[in-house]
Amino acid sequence: MTVQILMPALSPTMTEGTVARWLKAEGETVTSGDIIAEIETDKATMELEAIDDGILGKILIASGTEGVAVNTPIAVILEEGEDASAADAVASASGTAPIAAEPTVPAPAAEPAASVPAAPVAVAPPAENIPVGTEMVSMTVREALRDAMAEEMRRDDAVFLMGEEVAQYQGAYKVSQGLLDEFGARRVIDTPITEHGFAGVGVGAAYGGLKPIVEFMTFNFAMQAIDHIINSAAKTLYMSGGQMSSPMVFRGANGAASRVGAQHSQCFAAWYSQIPGLKVVSPYSAADAKGLLKSAIRDPNPVVFLENELLYGRSFDVPVLDDFTIPIGKANILREGTDVTLVAFSISVDYALQAADTLATEGISAEVIDLRSLRPLDTETLVNSVRKTNRMVTIEEGWPQNGIGAEIAAVMMEQAFDDLDAPVLRITGKDVPMPYAANLEKLALPTVDDVVAAAKSVCYR
Amino acid sequence: MKSPKSSATDAKTTKRDQPPGPVCPLQNAAANNIRQVIDDQGKLTGDLPEPDIAPEKLLHMYETMVMVRAIDDRGWILQRSGRIEFWIPHCGLEAVHNGATLAYEDDDWIVMGYRHPGVMLLRGVPLVQLFAQFFGRDGDPFKGRRLPTLMGDRRYNIVPTTTQVGSYLPHTCGMAMAAKIKGDATNFMVMFGDGSSSRGEFHSALNFAGVHKPPVVFICENNGWAISTPQSTQTASATYAEKGDAYGVRNLVVDGNDALAVYSVVKEARDMGHDEGATLIEAVTYRMGYHTSSDNPDLYREQADVDVWVPWDPLTRLRKYLERRKLWNKKKEDALWTRCKAEISAAIKAAEAMDFPTPATMFDDTYEEQTWLLQEQKAHLLADIAELERREGQK
Repeated sequence: MTVQILMPALSPTMTEGTVARWLKAEGETVTSGDIIAEIETDKATMELEAIDDGILGKILIASGTEGVAVNTPIAVILEEGEDASAADAVASASGTAPIAAEPTVPAPAAEPAASVPAAPVAVAPPAENIPVGTEMVSMTVREALRDAMAEEMRRDDAVFLMGEEVAQYQGAYKVSQGLLDEFGARRVIDTPITEHGFAGVGVGAAYGGLKPIVEFMTFNFAMQAIDHIINSAAKTLYMSGGQMSSPMVFRGANGAASRVGAQHSQCFAAWYSQIPGLKVVSPYSAADAKGLLKSAIRDPNPVVFLENELLYGRSFDVPVLDDFTIPIGKANILREGTDVTLVAFSISVDYALQAADTLATEGISAEVIDLRSLRPLDTETLVNSVRKTNRMVTIEEGWPQNGIGAEIAAVMMEQAFDDLDAPVLRITGKDVPMPYAANLEKLALPTVDDVVAAAKSVCYR
Repeated sequence: MKSPKSSATDAKTTKRDQPPGPVCPLQNAAANNIRQVIDDQGKLTGDLPEPDIAPEKLLHMYETMVMVRAIDDRGWILQRSGRIEFWIPHCGLEAVHNGATLAYEDDDWIVMGYRHPGVMLLRGVPLVQLFAQFFGRDGDPFKGRRLPTLMGDRRYNIVPTTTQVGSYLPHTCGMAMAAKIKGDATNFMVMFGDGSSSRGEFHSALNFAGVHKPPVVFICENNGWAISTPQSTQTASATYAEKGDAYGVRNLVVDGNDALAVYSVVKEARDMGHDEGATLIEAVTYRMGYHTSSDNPDLYREQADVDVWVPWDPLTRLRKYLERRKLWNKKKEDALWTRCKAEISAAIKAAEAMDFPTPATMFDDTYEEQTWLLQEQKAHLLADIAELERREGQK
């Protein structure tokens, strides 16, 4: 019986890769455990092992082919006695024609990992900074972040990037792609593996008049550097009586990724947004990622910039403008509605938008607000929305106690109590460290159904 | 030198098997590989040559060291009498920070620890500013936001120190890196205690310094104690300096109670910084006083441990050296102490006469601009205060 070899995934977030090199030729015998090919991803090169014994009957994807989607059949293994026609049959049955190495044809991106909500709903970028008729271009959040850094580094010689793997390796999540080539090792600096070390060096560089962008591979590792972020960066302006400041950006992936366990999957939004002296930003779309990162780099205060690993590869429309910035501290109404306000930030905006679609089919008009900035918090936009809808549901993947939703609920009680027709409800992650098992991880995170149910509940439906 | 005694002598225990009496390591400096210029009598017996320092500069340093001692004497009393909340004594530690500061130019940057008022005075910060901070009054450029003795002033190229010991070692590397990137020739010095050597940041900073060779002199002020933790509990290394070997950072040990020796080795390290990179200097000294006003050293050390350091008092040694050079005498000494005490009294009087920081200033400098939340809280607080004053006025 023929066996298909599928394009493997190095990690749950990998969507495509390159078939770098076949180590076996068509017709060669392979034994389980043999290395038959090398696969390159944006993170690493890996060796592909044969799982079954047999003959490499047909290579479906040639050496050097880029952009091969995960789970695409790349070869067929024949059992003893089968001939190549069986392989052809399998190949045509799977609908995958052999792809030549040149020219490169990017394969369609694979479905996102299980815990990620399905395809994004089209999001209108904020209108306030975009003139009518502005050309839009589709780009990933990853590219938008890179462009923001590159543009600010061109604009201001004091801006530089430092962190683990940011230079030679182009970033653990490939956010700093091309920056070393353009700006050189003086301004794109690979550091030793010590978050408290390089975060501290960054704070000192800010004291010394530069504007560092400190990249944490993820904010989980920034726990080690939190003393520098809070006790030094956030407090220095105040404690020096305004004499010294730390204008800098701490950025990196935050929140639950996919199948990486409790110590790599947590949201620090509530932690940092409690601290006076810090600004905290957590964008959803590529346009916001670009516009807010540019603003964060220019801001004279230290800014914690919380990205999301699962959003890096997602594409959004970004305006083609010479100098596109989004003000820190302004929420964005992504969808207007009259019956209930759904408040979200970062990847939780996905839940809100999808829930709004579902609610619309049931005759409930939901307003969706993307907070974008968590500190300062745009309470004015939230209060104005509740004055209209009289109901609110907050959505976040982080834990409930003292979370972003808890803060918003308190503000609504203080400032909009008489406008509320129902208590503010919070949709959050479960109050447990993130489990590893796929089913448990899914259960630990909010779902669109949770949001729909909560919205209906506050509408008494 | 006086060694403050605790009232809680009951807590002291008597050892049954008396070990050989404690010995001051400075007494056998050569054997202990400790660089030295003068001995306990101010004689030129050490391995280092006598540094070439202009007499007026030398005298200014000595006078500052005496002022620093007088500030500690008075600060302790102010704390014990309840006039200031907290005190971090620095008695016995005057040679390290004064000798090191003298080795730097005024446009060089110093990142100081919290036992180093001489850094401020040698850079020309007015005495009254120090006391304004101790009392948390209006004349404090930090606007009443830092503990007493957590000093610094950007206008004098002195980074205000933090209580997160060791955290500022990478900051210093970052500042030096910024200077390098900007292409300016500034030099940097950072002072920290022996306890900080156990912090992760010590290793990160030294590692960074070994690789990137920033113009930084790291001065580890080994005063024997990290609160109650002695060197034997802090590290298994024979010296703190030798930790630099692991990172490829030049290092040496100096007599931290010999201001001339400190000056010599720091000056050399500073001058070679831009070519050779960083140096780690361990200055061997002794904390004669309490860790802070919240401490009681009688719980963990014997008076005899302290007493062996008395003959090696940095002030006495430098005074004897100056007397040998006919630059100093008893009359000048008495006049100096009288002047220092009078200036301190005047500074205290002036500082205590200052207003407290106005409540409105509490909201400044959290950010470069005020957020809506700060504006709202400020308006509320000021309205409450105005209402309170109105009611007080009606009584």
